[in-house]
Amino acid sequence: MNFWQSFIGGVLPYVSIAILVLGLGYKVAYWYNAPANLHWELFPYPRTLGGQLGELVTEVFTLRSLFHHNRKLWFPSLVMHWGIYLVVFWLFFLLLGAPFAIYLGVAGGVLALTGSCLLLLFRLFAAELRQISAPVEYLNLLFIFLVALAALASGALSDFAFRSYFISLLTLKPHLPLPGSYLIFLLLLWLFMIYIPFTRMAHFAVKYFTYHKVKWGEIE
Amino acid sequence: MRKVFDDYRVLSDETLKPDEPRVEKFLQAMKKSLQQRDNWTFWLPYTLSLDTCMKCGTCAEVCPVYLASGKKDIYHPVYRSDMLRKVYKRYFTLPGRIFPGLVGAEDLTEEKLNAMAENIYRCTICRRCAYVCPVAIDNGVIAREARKIFDAIDIAPDELKKNGTQKQAKFGNATGTPANAFFDMIEFLEEEIEDTKGYKVKIPVDKEGAEYLLMHNAGDYLAFAETVMGAAEVMDAAGVDWTLNSPATGINDAVNYGVFYSDVEFTTIIKAHVETARKLGIKTLVVGECGHAFEALKYLMLRLIPPEERPFEVKSILELEDEWIREGRIKVDPEKNPEPVTYHDSCKLGRLGGMYEEPRRILKACCTDFRELTPNREMSICCGGGSGFAIMEKGDFRKFRMETYGKLKAEQLKASGASIIALACSNCKGQFREIINYYQLPVRFAGVSELVANALVR
Repeated sequence: MNFWQSFIGGVLPYVSIAILVLGLGYKVAYWYNAPANLHWELFPYPRTLGGQLGELVTEVFTLRSLFHHNRKLWFPSLVMHWGIYLVVFWLFFLLLGAPFAIYLGVAGGVLALTGSCLLLLFRLFAAELRQISAPVEYLNLLFIFLVALAALASGALSDFAFRSYFISLLTLKPHLPLPGSYLIFLLLLWLFMIYIPFTRMAHFAVKYFTYHKVKWGEIE
Repeated sequence: MRKVFDDYRVLSDETLKPDEPRVEKFLQAMKKSLQQRDNWTFWLPYTLSLDTCMKCGTCAEVCPVYLASGKKDIYHPVYRSDMLRKVYKRYFTLPGRIFPGLVGAEDLTEEKLNAMAENIYRCTICRRCAYVCPVAIDNGVIAREARKIFDAIDIAPDELKKNGTQKQAKFGNATGTPANAFFDMIEFLEEEIEDTKGYKVKIPVDKEGAEYLLMHNAGDYLAFAETVMGAAEVMDAAGVDWTLNSPATGINDAVNYGVFYSDVEFTTIIKAHVETARKLGIKTLVVGECGHAFEALKYLMLRLIPPEERPFEVKSILELEDEWIREGRIKVDPEKNPEPVTYHDSCKLGRLGGMYEEPRRILKACCTDFRELTPNREMSICCGGGSGFAIMEKGDFRKFRMETYGKLKAEQLKASGASIIALACSNCKGQFREIINYYQLPVRFAGVSELVANALVR
């Protein structure tokens, strides 16, 4: 077995998962241990757990803020986010052995590809967005686009047999070798996972603090 | 004064010292601002906001300055935040040190420092942008933290510091009114009520152990006396045990300009407020019609002063008026205010204070024709008087206020068709007074308490 098979298929997955988990864990702990700031809530805000969960779920799955206040970005952003959600669901159901997982995977890949492409174009050609964008903003979108492209092009998302590889990772005995095109997708995916904790793409974890600790506060 | 950012200058040359080297001192102060221990008061929202902006530009879609300026890039909320964020990345983050070009990190120069010092005083910290941000990033807190850093290197507008918090700490009020002049003023207000309303109202001052200590923005006595008289009439009609206080008792001015630019100054003033209230032994500190004072005393104070050290309640005069009207303690007749009245939600009372329904219930009870501005409540557009802007005039700043925030507000006001704009915040009153003049609007402004007093059935 050649080096790349072992490295991408057998080593990098563990490295990337470890960095993702530890990196996000560090970030969460960093914010979690912050001293309580002076009250800085914005009214009105939900006062019950149910109300807060309701707002959270609505925001995550519909991107309501963008819908109401930044409609031009809402659709491409929603498409990209749903693409990512579906890919996560794909992995979950694939591991559970549900055959319909491949439909989630392909749909997720297509949506992530389309959404990231549209957002990239917006950022490149809409002057208002371009003026506030640093190169890293383009890089982040390009990264998502390339991961989605490689995933779709390799056919990995529609391959139910790919499940055995992920199961083998869990049992710490990776089934190798993998087709070459899968390796490209996996390499990009693992690098993306390593990259996330160091970027603002970790906003899904940070949102808890910006909403619950600051915007919604904790009235004594 | 030479141009350092746009066509306006809030900071005088004496304050900004635009040609002196200040970058090193700034970076030292900024380093301190990023330490949890040194800046616990706002460390969390500050660092979250520096780190996690997705650059989606949603904030700009609701920013009054950016929209009213015709979307000038320098007034984009992210442009303003990025002035500090680029410095943060360059000097205080690893990626910014290694790949500055990639992540948008930049060296700080004296010129950039000058521009930043001015631009952070183009935002009133109305936090409309923070309300709509999908990630709840707060450009307002970044502007305020930048002001704190500048203040730490002795760069702050005179109106807020020298003639604001420092004067207030020394004289008891930011207007510099001594006790004897204050007593004369109260006597004059009592006579004025008698002359205009035909009945006598005794205004108690410095009464110890009163149920309610009503503390106004001291500027109201000079600029918006109708509000002060209105509140006195309401207190009198309610028959409650109340008092005003003179500077002889300590602080007799509800304002706290530290809210706008400095936690150190904020703490000094809030402690003086607490000490004064304790000394007088009052049960409830009633904040007059002043938005930021309400925010300071109702919310910002909570984690700063332990509960056992503040043995009194804090309420807005609006809460009391609403309560007393609803329970019939004071009787009002809406026919006495027959003109169309609208209400402007002060950012500090509304978005930052949650006081949306009280003023509306009051005005609906006291006026026959109440109508809303659109948009309102949490999406209310800042009038441009916030952050102390209402008292900033030099460097052609009034024009900035009128041509940005003021322009949007004038359009809103015209569309409402109202002939009275009811206000519950002194900064808003100062700003609307000028908006009405600048745009020649057939409208007058009135304090909520003034309208309640006008509707009183005695």
